[in-house]
Amino acid sequence: MARVDISWDPFDPVDPGPCIDVIVTNSRDVISAGRSLGLEYPEPLRMKALLDTGASVTVISRVFAGYCKLFQTSEGSEITAIGATHRCAEHAGSISFPDTGLKGFDPIRIVSAVFAKQRHYACLIGRDILRNWVLNFDGRSRRVTITD
Amino acid sequence: MATNAPFDQELKVFEQHRAEWSNSHAGEYVAIQDETIAGFFTSYADAFRAGLQRFGVRRGFLVKQVWITEPVYVVS
Repeated sequence: MARVDISWDPFDPVDPGPCIDVIVTNSRDVISAGRSLGLEYPEPLRMKALLDTGASVTVISRVFAGYCKLFQTSEGSEITAIGATHRCAEHAGSISFPDTGLKGFDPIRIVSAVFAKQRHYACLIGRDILRNWVLNFDGRSRRVTITD
Repeated sequence: MATNAPFDQELKVFEQHRAEWSNSHAGEYVAIQDETIAGFFTSYADAFRAGLQRFGVRRGFLVKQVWITEPVYVVS
């Protein structure tokens, strides 16, 4: 069991919300099978991810999904955000939380979608991951605590 | 046989069986490549692993949850 504190300022209108560093790669089974066939995969990429209780699934920027060469498992799924509906792809990947002790997820479905420019993060941690954690959002002390 | 659009063939197979599978495998995940079905599984991870074992990594395969109507993911 790990416990992680994240600082977050709900009083700051430009604070994107509680973010955590993640490493997104292909599932280790994909990498292992692919490398045995001579396929190459990019180095794991560390990025910021927003803890998003409003997201039903975990979502990654399409640009990063492409960079990571995430193994695709579906196409044309629909995702809706503030009234607009977009088509997205689905991938099987791995998400870990460096320097935290939190247990990673491998394999996990990751939806890729086009993110608006100038975002502070490249990934949304959705309820498919959040449901495995105990989260304490303490606005007054400006901290979020994750326990897994 | 693979087609140009990603998962075109697999999605066609899924649609052909959607009504039938919604009765027999509602909520389960199916893995499909071309017209070959690797089976039905209770989780995405299990379906993905089974697909990987059956089809390998050279070409993609579809992993899809069986519902009578297509769910729309929500981000708010």
